[in-house]
Amino acid sequence: MAIKEVLLYPDSRLKEICARIDEFDDSAGKLLQDLVDTMLAAGHSVGVAAPQIGAVRRAVVVDVSNSKLGKKQKNHGLLQMINPEIIEKSGDQVVREGCMSVPDYTGNVNRAERIVVQFSDPQGNLQVISAEGFEAIAIQHELDHLDGLLFLDRVSSLKTDLYRRKQK
Amino acid sequence: MQHFALTIIGRDHPGIVSQVTEILYKLGCNIADSSCSILGGQFSMILIISNPEISCKEDFGDSFAALEESNLSVYIRTLKPGGELRPELEGDLCMISVYGADQPGIVYQVAKELGDRKINITDLNTKLIGEKNRPVYVMMIEALLPEGIEIETVEGWMAELKQRLQVDISVRSLLAVEL
Repeated sequence: MAIKEVLLYPDSRLKEICARIDEFDDSAGKLLQDLVDTMLAAGHSVGVAAPQIGAVRRAVVVDVSNSKLGKKQKNHGLLQMINPEIIEKSGDQVVREGCMSVPDYTGNVNRAERIVVQFSDPQGNLQVISAEGFEAIAIQHELDHLDGLLFLDRVSSLKTDLYRRKQK
Repeated sequence: MQHFALTIIGRDHPGIVSQVTEILYKLGCNIADSSCSILGGQFSMILIISNPEISCKEDFGDSFAALEESNLSVYIRTLKPGGELRPELEGDLCMISVYGADQPGIVYQVAKELGDRKINITDLNTKLIGEKNRPVYVMMIEALLPEGIEIETVEGWMAELKQRLQVDISVRSLLAVEL
């Protein structure tokens, strides 16, 4: 139970490939709780990935149900995901993303419109869900963190739609 | 540190950026912000630069003479203190698309609707497209809507203009999502 500091690029932990979690022990549970606490403490955040708080392990939390955009769409509320993997993707959507680890910069990113994700829940049970719209964007963004990818690696267009401002 | 705005424009060809930045690098200048693009056949560069050793425009001497000789226009503006800092911009971004048969005054009349209401335009670009005998004007505006001004409000302002200019205008919110 702790609110952790969100690491900022160029912290090298943000560029690492995170390790799988094979033991569903206290440390995994604590990590998920820290991620949830940190996400809630950063009032505007809809997700946090473990490397953003310095743990290079494959865990993310996502919750779009309180965000302006997410609450209007179908969503799963709080998702706590261990070793998540996208097993299916379809469609395309473009959204202007920003990231807590890369402040003051936003850029347009192409993401799949619908995804099917497989992951282990905090108890170690395998889950498969399908997500779409904003929730799918948030999941794809957080999962990228587990492979050391930032949205900066995915910006799709410069002309007419790359901007530098952050929304409060 | 003193900052300067450096503007360079000239007929586009490969190598302009490297030619310009080689000079800046050798001078020991930092490029803080920059935006470069092709407009018509011209490559245009706008850069905010600084150099701990340079406090006034004259210190640049003839550093950019080689650029002028290769037909690039170079202009340096000395910024007032703090002029390099981006203001805190509050509000929600929106995107306004305006397009239709080319005619004089499209940019002005749309911009006036916004300017008169103190709406800050943060980015704007225009392009003339279509066939020679039926030119179409396209303008994209990114503007910051202060609290209390909704997309529908802006649509309302644009409705009359749409009629008058016989152009299409659409307004949509441009939420940047922080993840």
